[in-house]
Amino acid sequence: MSVKIALAGNPNCGKTTLFNALTGSNQFVGNWPGVTVEKKEGRLKGNKDVVIMDLPGIYSLSPYTLEEVVARNYLINERPDAIINIVDGTNIERNLYLSTQLIELGIPVLMAVNMMDIVEKSGDKINISKLSERLGCEVTTISALKGTGIMKAAERAVALANAKKAAPKVHKFAVKVENVLTAVEDKLGSDIPEEQKRFFAVKLLEKDDKIGEQMKKVPDVSAEIEMLEKEMDDDTESIITNERYVYISSIIGECYTKAGKETLTVSDKIDKIVTNRWLALPIFAVVMIIVYAVSVTTVGTWATDWANDGVFGDGWSLFGLEIPGIPVLVEGALEAIGCADWLMGLILDGIVAGVGAVLGFVPQMLVLFIFLAFLEACGYMARVAFIMDRIFRKFGLSGKSFIPMLIGSGCGVPGVMASRTIENDRDRKMTIMTTTFVPCGAKLPIIALIAGALFGGAWWVAPSAYFVGIAAIICSGIILKKTKMFAGDPAPFVMELPAYHMPTAGNVLRSMWERGWSFMKKAGTIILLSTIVLWFLMSFGWMDGSFGMLEAEELDYSILAALGGVFAPLFAPLGWGDWKMAVAAITGLIAKENVVGTIGILFGVAEVAEDGAEIWEQLAASMSAVAAYSFLVFNLLCAPCFAAMGAIKREMNNIKWFWFAIGYQTVLAYAVSLCVYQIGMLCSAGAFGIGTVVAFLLVIGFIYLLFRPYKESTTLKVDMKKAAMGIK
Amino acid sequence: MGTIITAVVLACVVGLVIRKMIQDKKSGKSLQCGCDCAQCGGCGSKK
Repeated sequence: MSVKIALAGNPNCGKTTLFNALTGSNQFVGNWPGVTVEKKEGRLKGNKDVVIMDLPGIYSLSPYTLEEVVARNYLINERPDAIINIVDGTNIERNLYLSTQLIELGIPVLMAVNMMDIVEKSGDKINISKLSERLGCEVTTISALKGTGIMKAAERAVALANAKKAAPKVHKFAVKVENVLTAVEDKLGSDIPEEQKRFFAVKLLEKDDKIGEQMKKVPDVSAEIEMLEKEMDDDTESIITNERYVYISSIIGECYTKAGKETLTVSDKIDKIVTNRWLALPIFAVVMIIVYAVSVTTVGTWATDWANDGVFGDGWSLFGLEIPGIPVLVEGALEAIGCADWLMGLILDGIVAGVGAVLGFVPQMLVLFIFLAFLEACGYMARVAFIMDRIFRKFGLSGKSFIPMLIGSGCGVPGVMASRTIENDRDRKMTIMTTTFVPCGAKLPIIALIAGALFGGAWWVAPSAYFVGIAAIICSGIILKKTKMFAGDPAPFVMELPAYHMPTAGNVLRSMWERGWSFMKKAGTIILLSTIVLWFLMSFGWMDGSFGMLEAEELDYSILAALGGVFAPLFAPLGWGDWKMAVAAITGLIAKENVVGTIGILFGVAEVAEDGAEIWEQLAASMSAVAAYSFLVFNLLCAPCFAAMGAIKREMNNIKWFWFAIGYQTVLAYAVSLCVYQIGMLCSAGAFGIGTVVAFLLVIGFIYLLFRPYKESTTLKVDMKKAAMGIK
Repeated sequence: MGTIITAVVLACVVGLVIRKMIQDKKSGKSLQCGCDCAQCGGCGSKK
């Protein structure tokens, strides 16, 4: 018979770190609240009969957020055998609020005071035995990060679970409240276990509207509520909350001793600069410039040059030993077994060129993922959400919208899905529409390719791509907020800023590997299949009136060219009306990596067949730098891949809203790219035409939409039919 | 002969890839975004 132990605690108190340490799992750990939005299960190392459940971080058992509902429903319905309540020792007072509620559940509770190493370092003292006595549950100290005391805590929790003895209810509310609670408990039916009656009674008194879903029969306690509210001159929820804080204050007074005068912590000192009203944004900009510039140029370029020219090129040398590249090896092997030319073409020009072009950018992605993982784990990204809240709020979004965007920098799908934690429907829809503007990992190869091939590896291209995404979010927010669909004040955003800490190398490398591995798996599945289809479409076509296989220099007669030619004129005003680029942009809808894969196939085939020029040189010869930047901007902002579109459709839950989102993204991408190309060509080459006029009209339109005053409706529109139906 | 062997190997690889993608889809893993749902903290789809 297995023992179930739940890990419960406030957000960012170290639950997932403890979960990983106890189970040997590799769950993602981030230094910002809300990393875990669903429960996760693992088995205790060395005792497979013990199931550990990692619950989302919650501040209370009140159903204010989705995470709180998930955690509460699990604790009530699944009833684990014991709860390990992880408490952040550096912020014990706030953490105890949840603890007082967990103890009322009638489940054995072990309190694990985490981050004790930091508490001790600061010189503060926690009287553990007194804390245990006042709460009525066992208390132990741990450091989840360093692994101290964690196995002892697990053993104690297992012992408590086996003893099946719930913590005695030491906490007594004021006499008046206790009397009412007893009366409510008496009204509860036999379907509520005896040890849970107090919890349900408190929730009924608090007028918790979701608690009824957990009960077969909901007793009428309105008389008790009315009586208590009248006697204590407050609403019952406030009365209970206040009583809890009085109790917690008395515990803190007895059990917690501060080392000395309240001084600024290192985190506080850093925050004084990093979140400073004037310095915050420039610092954020500099950080992201460094991250993207280093990832895509400098370190990233060295690594990618090695991958592209060596591993997926002619070969590379290791300590003087010449190692042939993958294409050379594959070609040699295929020639050795006498493989037919067409099949060699499929493998070398299709699969190896396409998948290789994508995988060649893996080193750059890994460097970027290391930086992002470090920024997330050290606590800086939580500050960015706080900084962005100040800006987002001005145009109608809250800082909460930044969290999906943060997740979206890895992949747009979980980014879009993370928007469901935003309660306000208007904010949520706007976040869904704008999240994919942040360049996801799959767009990085496009950025790197354009930066390398067309701009000679200029440092500013990659950071500019990131800021184009951020600017698109901000401008969209301003424009959309002035429409009736999105008008209204943004929802308040409350977020706890975690203390800065140096992330462990293992955590950072794990995060990098998980993201990188997902990318590589994708290259081996969707991208691989896409390259095969593309090769067939590219290699067959009509020439001189007959259908057949084409030579490398006859690509313009292929099926793919015919298909691309249909769409190419659409993109001509953007500067890349060549069918190859049109095909690359369209195949990006399958997966954004496909853009690079397609370019690898379409431009790489000439390398083998004709003059041996590099893919990058072929690409550079096919378009101007301004057109390439326009191509980059279009791919950054246009409708995301089908997977992300599916996520948008699911989260919007409305086909009209879905098409509105996709249409908005595509129209915006087209308009911005057009402006980039037309105005760019005017400035760089003095080219002026009808396109330039359209671009200037679009710019004027943009400026109008950005700065037009927002008029609140002054008339009340009433649908008389509906109103009449409502009056009976 | 070399062509047949290569074609069979390639067909097997493609078959396995498609089979894996279908299996992943059926087991609730995200084949679209390439992320592993069990490892991903950002998605709240498994409720």
